[in-house]
Amino acid sequence: MIQAILDAVSLGGVYALAALGLGLVFGVMRLVNFAHAELITVASYTLVMTHQFPLLVSIIFSVVVASLMALIMELVAYRRLRGSNPATMLIVSFGVSVLLQKVYELVFGALPRSASVATWMTGAFTVGGVSITTASVVTIVLAVVILLAMGYLVERTKLGLQLRAAASDFQTARLLGVRSNRLIASAFVISGALAAVVAFVNVVGNPQVDPRFGLDITILALVGIVVGGMNSLRGSALGGFIVGAVLSLLNVILGNGRVYAYSWMFVIVIVILLVRPGGILSKFATKERV
Amino acid sequence: MTTRLRLQELLGPILLVVAFSYAVGLQSAQGLLIVQSTLALFVMVLALHVFVGNSGVLSFGHGAFAMFGAFASGIVTTPSNIKEHSLQLQHLYPFLVNLNLGMYPSLVLAILAGAIVAGLSGLLLMRLNGLAAGIATFALLGVAYNIFFNNNRIGPGSQALLALPPFQFFEEPVVLTVIVMLAVYLFGISRAGRTLRATREDPLAAPALGISIMRVRWIAFTLSGAIAGLGGAMFAHVAGTVQVQDYYLPYTFMTLSMLIIGGGASLWGATVGTLLVTGIGQILLMMEQQKPILGIVVHLPNGTRAIVIALSLVVMLLWRSDGVTKGREFKLGMPKLRK
Repeated sequence: MIQAILDAVSLGGVYALAALGLGLVFGVMRLVNFAHAELITVASYTLVMTHQFPLLVSIIFSVVVASLMALIMELVAYRRLRGSNPATMLIVSFGVSVLLQKVYELVFGALPRSASVATWMTGAFTVGGVSITTASVVTIVLAVVILLAMGYLVERTKLGLQLRAAASDFQTARLLGVRSNRLIASAFVISGALAAVVAFVNVVGNPQVDPRFGLDITILALVGIVVGGMNSLRGSALGGFIVGAVLSLLNVILGNGRVYAYSWMFVIVIVILLVRPGGILSKFATKERV
Repeated sequence: MTTRLRLQELLGPILLVVAFSYAVGLQSAQGLLIVQSTLALFVMVLALHVFVGNSGVLSFGHGAFAMFGAFASGIVTTPSNIKEHSLQLQHLYPFLVNLNLGMYPSLVLAILAGAIVAGLSGLLLMRLNGLAAGIATFALLGVAYNIFFNNNRIGPGSQALLALPPFQFFEEPVVLTVIVMLAVYLFGISRAGRTLRATREDPLAAPALGISIMRVRWIAFTLSGAIAGLGGAMFAHVAGTVQVQDYYLPYTFMTLSMLIIGGGASLWGATVGTLLVTGIGQILLMMEQQKPILGIVVHLPNGTRAIVIALSLVVMLLWRSDGVTKGREFKLGMPKLRK
């Protein structure tokens, strides 16, 4: 029971990080970046390919690679799309995602690459007669630390102020002197770094990295930002957490029916969207004005 | 309030599709297969055009309707004795085991299945706009995939349905496709189609003129669900097998790319997009297999094809987001100069 709750919290934490990465980018340019999945994947590949190095070095590598990849995406593709219809941008990011998957397939092969990363995390320990997996505790600590750091960044720094301003009204923020290119680029870099953290936790749990490694978590994190409310970073993170935690709990509650956990999850999402198209945290049903 | 029927807008795409089918399909067995699978994909692209092109609302959910169509048609055309004895179908509902239909009744069933699923889900989904609609239709695809992948009472689960009967004659898929094109065009110029495009152009002015956005979108969604059901079933019978993965993300991506590359807003765009993507794909495939093209052998590593198709979608959207045809219908002669 305690383990189930810990699992729910740790999965929720991971999804919150992934959703936060998506939410940052969505906030500054209304882009639902489907290719966030490929950032997670490339960070995972980096972790696996550099597993012979000390863990910290290999994590730094993966953060750098994922951030660079995010920056390249923005410079090469998304920059030209600023201000276009969100649906068009969604399809472009879908295209970028498939494109990168195929490139990974060409470079790394379609079969999974694996290596044991941070094996010390795979064990379990006992506290007061209850067995607890190390991974869940480490994940929770990691997620909390990073969420707190992000909270500080977003709430207390100038960059964070600009990000929040841009998320609520990009045009006005620009008029008030926020440099859009720099801001958007930093949002992409941070989302890349967050993708690398998500990748680390996932690779420890399942070191079989294939070209579609990041896909599932990204789809669910996407669902998360929609559920939480796309217009605020807090909403994105909360939505991601809810999706992860609910999914983890559904897996326990449904028992043999757990293969349908995704379906229930998606049904819940559709219902939430119908009741609150702006997400849980939205105060009123927003309607685009002319 | 309908648009005038301009014969060349209808006949241009139809003649192109028929000409393509005969020119490529009668050459070789491989050509025949290319034509048949292209037509099956084209029907799916047409389904997307009816809804996405006319309404401007994105849908990732049409793969779900194709799935329902393909499995409905696949299960009833697989002979009973195969269903009784094959390992992956041993948990099938008994009435499905005993149900046997011919090819055409099964296609009608596929159309109905697609229409019913689209009609019911549309009642809820059509309330949404923009991104929320995109994500919700994606959720629909996710639910359908999850159910078909795991439920072995209504289908083969994660396994494949094998031994589906193929089309007997070369002309069958061609005729089916032309009928669908006719229906799509007639819908486009109908009152409902025109109203729907009005809501796409201005979602605030249209309701002010007394148009119910939900109602016209629902009509188009249901019609396109029916066509997607047929497209999915045709795809299954051409391949001779059906598996749930065949209708998931790559299929959705491929058909959406075809529509967008051609230009989603017109029948001509859907036609050009499908043929263009197929053509480029085939040329690249021949290069990957080191076959000569016009006497020249170019060697490309495996996997290049998928990369080029994805790349051309991205480039197309960056360069010309209305597609090759800019969403215009087919027209003979030089474009008139505008004053």
